[in-house]
Amino acid sequence: MEKERSLQGKVALITGGSRGIGRAITLKLAAEGVDVIINYFRKKSTAESTAQEARAGGVAAHTIKANLGEPEKIESMFDEIETRFGKLDILVSNAATGVARTALELDDRGWDWTMDVNAKAFLLCAQRAAKLMLNGGKMVTISSLGSRLAWPIYTAVGVSKAALEALTRYLSIELAPRGICVNGVAAGAIESEALKMYTEGQDLSQISLQTTPAGRMVRSEDVANVVAFLCSDEAVMIRGQIIVIDGGLSLTTVGYGAKKDDEGGRLGAP
Amino acid sequence: MSAEMSIEEKVKSIVLKIVRKPDIDFAATTTFKDLNADSLDIVQMLVALEDAYDIEIDDQELQEVTNMGGFIDYIKRKVAEKG
Repeated sequence: MEKERSLQGKVALITGGSRGIGRAITLKLAAEGVDVIINYFRKKSTAESTAQEARAGGVAAHTIKANLGEPEKIESMFDEIETRFGKLDILVSNAATGVARTALELDDRGWDWTMDVNAKAFLLCAQRAAKLMLNGGKMVTISSLGSRLAWPIYTAVGVSKAALEALTRYLSIELAPRGICVNGVAAGAIESEALKMYTEGQDLSQISLQTTPAGRMVRSEDVANVVAFLCSDEAVMIRGQIIVIDGGLSLTTVGYGAKKDDEGGRLGAP
Repeated sequence: MSAEMSIEEKVKSIVLKIVRKPDIDFAATTTFKDLNADSLDIVQMLVALEDAYDIEIDDQELQEVTNMGGFIDYIKRKVAEKG
């Protein structure tokens, strides 16, 4: 029997939807019957490849290039969505960037660039998206545990994600009367190109294997599954929450680099 | 002005605008380090050039580029490949 596609006929915009976590979300939503609009920053070929994969599941997939750090590009993107689709049911705010520097090394350009793409872009997208969600809708933001933990050289991104999470809560209240649910997910370390930038050669997959209660690193598909759930009607009473997806890592006191008891380490003393 | 010159001039204009050093010496041997270009500068240069010529710049391929002469040659090659 063919699996029921719970989100059949919906239209979703996934910012940064062509690769990494965004790609997994795009393909998961497509598998649930959603027509997907893939926003990308630079690589058209990558976006088209993801769109092709999505289309193989029988849904429509459309790509739009837009640098979300530029408000006028966000406007153009939504003009195109409005003209082409006339509505939007789901907004996944996933696109992210950042400069890898300590707080004392950060300059205003790096700060603004990171905040513009990671936080302000969601505000601008949500403002336009809400107008296209005539029969209600779902918005999901993709945050990071760096919003509440302090990691070396993650300052700008961590702060931008904290702003994104706060905005998620505010919008969840403001948009509730319009039938729009706004939530977010915060993932632990996911093996990706982006992670390599912040971990400077550490073998995080090995470290995560030792320190994550679930016994492995988080995968992009783990995030996509939760996003799809938050986009479903089953999640309608979840509002303004940031769901942590980290295999239990953030609940433990064993940090990166810590040793287990039988390896000479002590809990709480990484 | 030849098409080749125009690519050189475009690259120079974009690079100097982004690094905010309009008066700096810009030669084939000038490196990104000489321009004090950080990772954000370089991303913004690549995006501006991709938009200007509707090309895709491969970040891996760019690792081989050491100076502005090589950078201009790389952009010319990408533009030529596009046809």
